[in-house]
Amino acid sequence: MSTSAGVLSDDLRRTAAEIVGKYPNSRSAILPLLFLVQSVEGHVTENGMREVAEIVGLEPAEVLATSSFYTMLKKKPQGEYLVSVCRNIACTHRGAREIASALEDRLGVEIGGTTGDGRFSLESAECLATCDGAPSLQINYEDFYNVTPDGARALIDRLEEGRETTSFRGQKVKSSKEIAREIATSGLRVPGTAGDQQERTIGGESPRADTAPGIRPKEKGQERAPKNDEGRTK
Amino acid sequence: MIDEVRMVTRRLREFPEDSWTVERALDDGAYEASRKAVTKMSADDCIALLKESGLRGRGGAGFPTGMKWSFVPKDVFPKYIVVNHDEGEPCTYKDRELAESDPHQLLEGITIAAWANQATKAFIYCRGEFALGSRRLDRAINDAYDRGLLGQGIYGSKFDLDIVLHRGAGAYICGEESALLDSLEGFRGQPRLRPPFPAVKGLYGRPTVVNNTETLSALPHIIERGADWFRQWGTERSPGTKVLSVSGHVERPANYEVPLGTPLKDVLELAGGMLGGRELKAIIPGGASAPLLTSTEIAVDFDALKEAGTMLGSGSIVFMDETTCMVRNALVTLEFFEHESCGKCTPCREGTWWAVKVLERIEHGEGRKEDMDLLVDIANGIDGRSFCPLGDAASWALRSNVQLFRSEFERHVTEGRCPFEGELTTVSGSRTKQTGLGDAGVAAQPSAGIASDEEP
Repeated sequence: MSTSAGVLSDDLRRTAAEIVGKYPNSRSAILPLLFLVQSVEGHVTENGMREVAEIVGLEPAEVLATSSFYTMLKKKPQGEYLVSVCRNIACTHRGAREIASALEDRLGVEIGGTTGDGRFSLESAECLATCDGAPSLQINYEDFYNVTPDGARALIDRLEEGRETTSFRGQKVKSSKEIAREIATSGLRVPGTAGDQQERTIGGESPRADTAPGIRPKEKGQERAPKNDEGRTK
Repeated sequence: MIDEVRMVTRRLREFPEDSWTVERALDDGAYEASRKAVTKMSADDCIALLKESGLRGRGGAGFPTGMKWSFVPKDVFPKYIVVNHDEGEPCTYKDRELAESDPHQLLEGITIAAWANQATKAFIYCRGEFALGSRRLDRAINDAYDRGLLGQGIYGSKFDLDIVLHRGAGAYICGEESALLDSLEGFRGQPRLRPPFPAVKGLYGRPTVVNNTETLSALPHIIERGADWFRQWGTERSPGTKVLSVSGHVERPANYEVPLGTPLKDVLELAGGMLGGRELKAIIPGGASAPLLTSTEIAVDFDALKEAGTMLGSGSIVFMDETTCMVRNALVTLEFFEHESCGKCTPCREGTWWAVKVLERIEHGEGRKEDMDLLVDIANGIDGRSFCPLGDAASWALRSNVQLFRSEFERHVTEGRCPFEGELTTVSGSRTKQTGLGDAGVAAQPSAGIASDEEP
């Protein structure tokens, strides 16, 4: 694989190959690969989509068709922190509008906007499955519960001052590029302590000859170009 | 007050500090049931037991799990298990908590489903926004591999199982199982025409079992303790327990696990009653798709709610008090469906779009006296005509809001404002329009709503 367009470094190209290796069909890797692009570019760029297309062996237009459907894949540059205010039923009935207004005033942008310094993007989100803490919001997908207008403003203050911020569930808020990287690499096997990680491959002896071998990521010698070995039937 | 009956929520409530770790899970007996299934039971035994238990899918449709499994052809390989962990139904947060706080219970359930269906690869489609849940699942899968609970020859048998964690990227429609499969294959998440059903032609065209997180989490308990044990709770046709996500104007919003058939008023009591002791006005009994109720005098199970013209759905219950504006409730709900409509079919794409515009002008005091009938007409135009259940759900929610609270809608029109507050703001984008189009719905526009489209 060449690095012609130059969005993904050689290192990330290797990560991309591991991601592709998770799936029986390389096309399934499109979403995580687009998150990988977002982890470098801050959003899904045209060059990034071209590289993804090259990696999975599709036309760039096909990657665009997929990419444009999903709200977490950003079409334009995003702030370092994406503040997503839930606007769904439980949160609205418990004060989500006031939270959104407070954040619009504090950040000086409207919902959907990004601050001039590129630090914050503000969006409204559909139900985040955090209704037990309504009104709630997420910052780079970490949950904050029972938010008040003052609490929302204080969160922004804290992030602006560069202080470490942890969620309702005790998780550190990462930067938007860091979280995109994490999403992209979800489900990649981490070599464990068992020691036989390299041996425990599938695709060798299988108890049933008619069972397709699974493909485990992070195996040595798995550099082969992924191919579409199972057709799409629709 | 009734007590919860904790089956799938037992470990996470008993050990809130570390229920998600492999050490705690193993110490607490995790993987014993899956070991029993793989080493002592045949695949057919497992399916028969599931059928006997009467377990119905906990994702929303309530289809009997054992029957779903029995549709999978026996002699076609490979086949796949796909976990629908794309929980997005408004006000549902049970799967998030189950996977976040007890991921090993889910992995054990997946193992049982894989064995019963002779699938050697499973995919967990985890909602993109679930950062912590994904971390916990990732860790749990790695820990399970390291302990030989996943991989080749699990429990010393000849059975292999790989579990792959896959993240969604923000699309409610991917909770619909065929759209989920398209998304997992790297396409736009749009529903497929059925038949063929996923059990016959699913992921990559192979036989595929798609089960919800809560459904799979129940499996270890049924395998371990049998169908009769499971059937001691619930009703004949809705056996077992169900995790209810309770939210809205209640004192203690949380997930509560209760036997199916529990009276709704007991659920409200479990959640501490109405917030501040205010009067109950409306109830959403099963996610935003479910038509509203106004009384708690009903049992929470699949059949009782269906008879009442609504549904249990995903088991999320929203209690709304007397201060709630039902026009706003309808608007928020329809904005959601409009935003999440995948665009594939016209009735859903266009119907939800127009419904939002009409609701906006009513909420902003620009409504017309014919609007209530127009909304019902829009709902009727979607219902039964959309490609997948998303459109139907939108129409049910819309119609029930208008029909049950028609006088409140009419008051908005006759008074020319929202009687619940003076502010003229919208829900998403508190001052500017985000979900409507252009200036439609802004009070300053004399011809807000549909008519504004005719202007340049």
